[in-house]
Amino acid sequence: MAIEISRLRRQFGQHVALDDLNLTIAEGEFVAVLGPSGSGKTSLLRILAGLDHPDAGTVEREGEDLLALDARRRGVGLVFQHYALFPHMTVAQNVAFGLRVRPWGLRPRAAAIKARVQELLKRVELDGFAGRYPAQLSGGQRQRVALARALAIEPTLLLLDEPFGALDAQVRGNLRRWLRELHRSLGITTLFVTHDQDEALEMADRVVVMNRGRIEQIGTPEQIHRYPATPFASRFIARSQVLSGYLEDKVIHVLGRSWPLEHDGIDPTLAIAVHVRPEDIVPVCHQDEGWSARLLSVRHVAGTARVALHVSGLDEPLDAVWTERDWLRHGVAVGERINVHFQTLTVFAEGGEGRLHARIDVHPPHATSPVTVGPWRRLEA
Amino acid sequence: MAALSAAIAMDVRVSSSARLGRGVLILAAISVLVGLLVLPLMAIFAEAFRRGLAFYLNAVREPETIAAIRLTLTVAAIAVPLNLVFGLAAAWAMTHFQFPGKALLGALIDLPFSVSPVVAGMMLILVYGKYGWLGAWLESHGIQIIFALPSLVLATVFVTLPFVARELIPLMQAQGSEQEEAALTLGASGWQIFFRVTLPRVRWALLYGVLLCNARAMGEFGAVYVVSGHLRGITNTLPLQVDQLYEENFSAAFAVASLLALLTVLTLAIKRLLEWRHGDHLNAGH
Repeated sequence: MAIEISRLRRQFGQHVALDDLNLTIAEGEFVAVLGPSGSGKTSLLRILAGLDHPDAGTVEREGEDLLALDARRRGVGLVFQHYALFPHMTVAQNVAFGLRVRPWGLRPRAAAIKARVQELLKRVELDGFAGRYPAQLSGGQRQRVALARALAIEPTLLLLDEPFGALDAQVRGNLRRWLRELHRSLGITTLFVTHDQDEALEMADRVVVMNRGRIEQIGTPEQIHRYPATPFASRFIARSQVLSGYLEDKVIHVLGRSWPLEHDGIDPTLAIAVHVRPEDIVPVCHQDEGWSARLLSVRHVAGTARVALHVSGLDEPLDAVWTERDWLRHGVAVGERINVHFQTLTVFAEGGEGRLHARIDVHPPHATSPVTVGPWRRLEA
Repeated sequence: MAALSAAIAMDVRVSSSARLGRGVLILAAISVLVGLLVLPLMAIFAEAFRRGLAFYLNAVREPETIAAIRLTLTVAAIAVPLNLVFGLAAAWAMTHFQFPGKALLGALIDLPFSVSPVVAGMMLILVYGKYGWLGAWLESHGIQIIFALPSLVLATVFVTLPFVARELIPLMQAQGSEQEEAALTLGASGWQIFFRVTLPRVRWALLYGVLLCNARAMGEFGAVYVVSGHLRGITNTLPLQVDQLYEENFSAAFAVASLLALLTVLTLAIKRLLEWRHGDHLNAGH
């Protein structure tokens, strides 16, 4: 069912966990809340589950006030990062728990409960494990039991708290695909929180990027990755790095190079932040082209060359991701000089107090291409 | 090469001195245990049976001793369940809620460990005694607390108060409340969460706490001594009976003392048996 969260606020002492949060989740949608630890994503989850209460704001489910309902009557399924299975119960007893604790009139008959548990265990591919105890299962299996247990109460909203956080990489990858499929077949409105951007981008219909209790950006995985709306989203999602640069008389200066930049209507006194993604730092052939850099190190990971570069004028080393083909064509020995080109820069114009006024994708001029400038995107501050 | 052989020689020296240290420590621990626990315990039984089995049985079957046994069991049967409930409630409150005065509650739970039992008994007399704060009111309503069963129970509850709570609090703290929260979102009520999730998880620590509490309840001397009045066959618990017999009939005192020691040994045996029988669940539960 559709969920509408408006002006949700939660404060712990001086720490603002949720700052006037607004979010609408459509029926059957799979939404990821992505943010670093302390961004408020877990607070949001706990409030939706009824384990915590907001200081202000409302949450409605199909027009019904969700916050007025006690946690046990909310019909919200919650899967914990560390599973929170009941260790003294078998897998079947764990899954049946939500049905067995129902009051007399609503409790299904024992045979019906058994059938439902069987069906759920089949669904999570654990048919043969009904009699085992949680301690006898692997991490991935425990997570699936926790999911089956949450699904048993037929929740109208499913919440997942860092569902794969405690699993090893391979199991995680398999479970992600499996959970995506499961969601498609069940169609339950699902919200999951994670700090792992790959996880969020791979699984969700829509990604909500959170930082310090605020939503930085909401969008499809592609939008989020291609057009990060804020400097935070750019650093956190696109792993962008910050270059030093400034704007002067319609000319942008970045690390010693400058070229004209259209910026009609943008206050020239605004400070700008110039971001570049690792994959947009590419090697070039000609000595007089692009920016001169020194190769600090190279590591070969999963078909790519991860390169660390020192560019003059910048204290921090820059990380670049090249294809192995680029590396074979342009690679030099560690310590030697190489010229690089920034294919796309994202420029954020910021006013005082960190208020964001505009962002633009800039393509620095190349020897063989004219100046190109992307369209300005005005942002509602 | 020389460095290598030197390293090997040093390794040997380290391991032999480590072995020596381990031996010394084990020996020290065993001698302390034998000297302080095993020998005295054996001495009690040896002294108890020194005049033969018939004498032993007679001493134990003495009506006053039988009355003392019955009283001790009665006091324990009331005090232990009270502290079981209190310990559970206190541990639950301490680990699941944030409230003002939480630190004070923690300190109060420990108070009986730090207050001398004699002082505990005196405090009871000051409040409930004939000339105590509530004395006049109690007397006018015909309620006798001091020198009767109620004071024995109160004194015992006081001195055994920390056992259950102190066993449970660290465990419940380590376990956190995620499982309770999971149960809540699954629709369980407060009682259902308590009986189906919380209690099964702490049952072994709870049982252990209850056993310790029981052993102390039966063996308590100081606080009970102050409030009982030593009426033979009426307000004498087993430890008080031993004390009085010790003045009059040395061997009989040891016979009765051996009963108390037996209760302790039995308690430990039950605990070991339960651990041995349910060791797997004990580990799986944590």
